[in-house]
Amino acid sequence: MLGRITPSMISSSTLNDINSALSSLERSSSELSSGKKILEPSDDPYGTSRVINLQSQLDGLSSYTSSVQDGIGWTQASTGAMANIGEITQRVRELLLQAANGTLNAGDLQSIGVEVTQLTEAVKQDANTQYAGQFVFSGTQTTSAPYKAGPEDEFQGNGESVLRAIGPGATLEVSSNLAGVLGNGGGSGDGKLLDVLRTIAQHLTEGTPAARKELASTDLKNLDTNMESLISLEATTGSATAQLRSAQTRIETLEGALTKALSNTRDADIAQVSIAYSNEQAAYTAALKAGANIVQESLLNFLRE
Amino acid sequence: MPIPTLQGLQTALSGLLAEQQAMDVTANNIANANTEGYSRETAVLQTSPPIEIPAMSATTGEGGRLGTGVNVQTITRIRNIYLDSQYRTQNSALSSASTQAEELLQTQSAFNEPSAAGLANQLSAFWSAWNSLANAPTSEAAREGVVAAGEQLARSMNTLSAQIETISAQATQQYEARAGVGGEVEGIARQIAQLNGQIKLAEQSGQPPNEMLDRRDLLLDKLSAFANVTVSQQPDGTDTVTFGDAAKPLVEGTAVNWPQTLTAAAGGQLGALLSLTGPGGKLAGYREGLDEVAASLAKGVNALHTTTPFFAGETAATIKVAVTAAEVQTSSTGTPGGNDVALAIAELRGGATDQSYAALVERVGSDVKGAEEETTNLKTTLTAIGNQRQSVSGVSLDEEMTNMIAFQRGYQASARTMSALDSMLETLIEHTGVVGL
Repeated sequence: MLGRITPSMISSSTLNDINSALSSLERSSSELSSGKKILEPSDDPYGTSRVINLQSQLDGLSSYTSSVQDGIGWTQASTGAMANIGEITQRVRELLLQAANGTLNAGDLQSIGVEVTQLTEAVKQDANTQYAGQFVFSGTQTTSAPYKAGPEDEFQGNGESVLRAIGPGATLEVSSNLAGVLGNGGGSGDGKLLDVLRTIAQHLTEGTPAARKELASTDLKNLDTNMESLISLEATTGSATAQLRSAQTRIETLEGALTKALSNTRDADIAQVSIAYSNEQAAYTAALKAGANIVQESLLNFLRE
Repeated sequence: MPIPTLQGLQTALSGLLAEQQAMDVTANNIANANTEGYSRETAVLQTSPPIEIPAMSATTGEGGRLGTGVNVQTITRIRNIYLDSQYRTQNSALSSASTQAEELLQTQSAFNEPSAAGLANQLSAFWSAWNSLANAPTSEAAREGVVAAGEQLARSMNTLSAQIETISAQATQQYEARAGVGGEVEGIARQIAQLNGQIKLAEQSGQPPNEMLDRRDLLLDKLSAFANVTVSQQPDGTDTVTFGDAAKPLVEGTAVNWPQTLTAAAGGQLGALLSLTGPGGKLAGYREGLDEVAASLAKGVNALHTTTPFFAGETAATIKVAVTAAEVQTSSTGTPGGNDVALAIAELRGGATDQSYAALVERVGSDVKGAEEETTNLKTTLTAIGNQRQSVSGVSLDEEMTNMIAFQRGYQASARTMSALDSMLETLIEHTGVVGL
């Protein structure tokens, strides 16, 4: 406790009090108007670095969301094309069964052969499906079509996988190795779908008894084998779509959790700040009132003139 | 020795004069109630030497010592020099802390975190651009996006590094302006030296030159904001002032030794500026921190972008994008749809670069917070010491009013004594020993 109190001490401490009341009022007011409790790093240094990290993670998640959506588009385009190829193959199989039952003459067989050749072309067109300007079955040679139109059936792409990021450190293959089912066509003799289709067309055109026999046995069997491979590839791609969808759900959950953490770290508790704000307003008003009334009285007022 | 007949009048007169002088001092105190650096003064009254009255004389009986009134011994200022030295120590510390807080706040604003305009957001946008490229490796727009995001990031790093450098350069300029030839420090030192000379002369005449002492103390208070100040009072009334960690005293008698070299240990504003801008200082530390971020970014991305380095320059000031959109590498095999490189670069998000940047921001924030808290604490301490000083030296109007009444009444009473004596003498002169009537 100080011995003497002088008016200048009172006025300077009143001024200090008014200033500190005003500065806490200013703080609460900017928290209220911005809705944030971290306005600059010094408000909460650790919190700031957390906000930076969380914000970056959230940005990362929205990148993953767009990758996943892109991946889903890709796999759906792939399954769509494979379903078409499946239907076409089914049609070829029906034609093959018709041709094999032996009642058709050579002319009929030839016209079936023409249709099979056309269907083969349709298979290749479906294999040339594009998603967002990229050929989905070319491996990573996405700028060139996997198969050229016409009798030439050689695969133009490569066997590399197309990957999409679906989460931190996690990627998923969205491409399907359709070339593994279609093969390199007639010239290659690889027994894959295009080779089988070309062989069937050839046997139909020949129309000889030996050819007819081949149609009914080996060709049908080869066709069935390839259809099975196609279905299994379709299933693989379908499961990739399912994985992408579940990745999306996981990202959304994570996004919710991170957004909550970010808000807890960065955002002001409006209710709390509002109450603090009105308390500080009252304190400021009181300090102002004290300032206006203080040091008005002195002994001077009570001395006789 | 007989008592002089008119001694009582002299005694009453001394009372009148002393009360009047005390009243003058009160008037001066009231007039200076709001003068910065003024110490209240008081008239020190003492009794005048008495008259020895010998014993056994016919008129005086037992004898004694008769008081002859009062005189003003000196007019002294009320001041506690220990509080002064405490005040100056705290003032240096406060000035150091608030200078640091001010400069660091500027640096913090340059970082502009957390906000959409900050570097963190641009780093994030850069990683996102790589992710978009991984989704569409053949897209020209995505390539352009990666280059644009990289360029913006590099530019922001260049700007931030330059801003910190500017803050450092301005702090150095500020130091030069204060401590250089003809700067504030030298100006104050010269005034103190001049006052030293005048005070020495005045002290020789015997009476304390209160107003000059007050002015010198006020100048010393101001000087203490620039660096640590210690004052040693010399027998001849001059002050020898040591300043910061300068080798020779700043003021010695009427001599000024300036400019001298100071170091970061000088304290006060100058010490703070030197410690911020010096090698190993905070500002240099931030630039190094930013350089680490830039180096980690450039190395991290270039290590994956193997065809040609994506970034050139490995410091924050020099980093820039070194590739065109067409040269951006998306895959290690060179196939148009391959995206392993783009994916790997996008995976750098949250890695060493992001971590070291977040740590840097945290460091700046902690430093600012520390300096601000220190400033607030020291302000409180300084206010307390200032109040103690005011309690000792400040003018209290109530007190002056009370004194005024006392002195006024004292004066009135002395005057009354004088008129009583006068009427006694009148009796003696007018009514006794009338002869010839």
